[in-house]
Amino acid sequence: MPQPPIKPRATLTEQATKLLPSALLPELLGCIDTNKRLVVLDMGHAVASTVRFFGEYRCQLNFIDLTAEQFVATPDEDLSHRQRVVLMRQALTLAPSVKLDICLFWDVFSYLSDAYIKALIEALEPHIGPATGALIINPRDSRCYLPFCRYGVADQDHFMQIDNTGTQPTVFARSQRDLNNLIDYFAIDRGRLIAEGRAEYLLFENRDSDKTDRSMI
Amino acid sequence: MFSKYRKFINGADDSSLEIDSKVSDYGPAAQSTLIGAGVTIEGKVSSHEDIVIAGEVHGVLMATNHHVHIAKSGVVTADITAKIVSIEGSVTGNITGSESVIIAATSVVHGNVECPRVSLEDGAKFKGSIEMNPGEPAQSVLPIFSVSNAKVHRSVKESGQTATKAS
Repeated sequence: MPQPPIKPRATLTEQATKLLPSALLPELLGCIDTNKRLVVLDMGHAVASTVRFFGEYRCQLNFIDLTAEQFVATPDEDLSHRQRVVLMRQALTLAPSVKLDICLFWDVFSYLSDAYIKALIEALEPHIGPATGALIINPRDSRCYLPFCRYGVADQDHFMQIDNTGTQPTVFARSQRDLNNLIDYFAIDRGRLIAEGRAEYLLFENRDSDKTDRSMI
Repeated sequence: MFSKYRKFINGADDSSLEIDSKVSDYGPAAQSTLIGAGVTIEGKVSSHEDIVIAGEVHGVLMATNHHVHIAKSGVVTADITAKIVSIEGSVTGNITGSESVIIAATSVVHGNVECPRVSLEDGAKFKGSIEMNPGEPAQSVLPIFSVSNAKVHRSVKESGQTATKAS
């Protein structure tokens, strides 16, 4: 049963930056092959530390902040799935031949309804290969509050967390099982609890996943 | 070259369009050409010296061996090719830097950046891709200088009138 959206608890007005230890980022970044050009998709606001970190590698770093897109900020629930996929493809602006090595989804799924997650996953599908790894930050469970932040990669073991200003969009909090069912050809490889009621999930492409609940946390 | 438009450029010394002091923390320190606030250029701009854009440029901007700085008031809708590109204003277009690209906190950039070294400050609004290669040596290219097929517009905002000059 899908959970009703949680309204934001507060509006943040002050920005604060802090390091957030990650148990799964080393796993994701550990797969980097420095001999080849890396292709990274960051689905959050562009953050200085991420550019600095990947600047050490030969890479293409794609920043697409979906929450800044009008169709996400004020979603039209009357659109068909096909129309949503078209909107997502237009927002992604990835060349057809691009195959992603790393997807940093951060908390974007928490700001998308089920219908828009399905559209995003379908729009991304041509760019996902067997070696694609991904990372998600999600509320620990559907009752947890999600801090209103933007994220970056600080180093191999830490995220950079920067408090956002403005009003937090509506949060769609989901259980790990519900999330796993929405991400189709991705499968949650493992999850770890992180600060402030959140969990981080490491995803890999797995088109043969059976999507049964394995309660990895 | 820009002498007949000198009077339109805000903030520039009346005797010269060139500035010899730092425009900002990011701008070129050496002598530079200024496209002042209120000036709009449409077409292809090529330069063999550093250039500061506080006005608007629509078209193509080439300063292959030099520094292009987009000031906070600068609005560029153009592909930019330069040795160094620093941005505090707004750019829509692809940016190619042979040495470095600096995207400051105040900037809004929509486009793809290709440069061996790119730095971005928190607060910048960036949408697009950044192609980096820290091992790539800085490119050396022949300098060129011309402003060709360009139209220069001056918007007189105070009076609500618009005057257009074409070079």
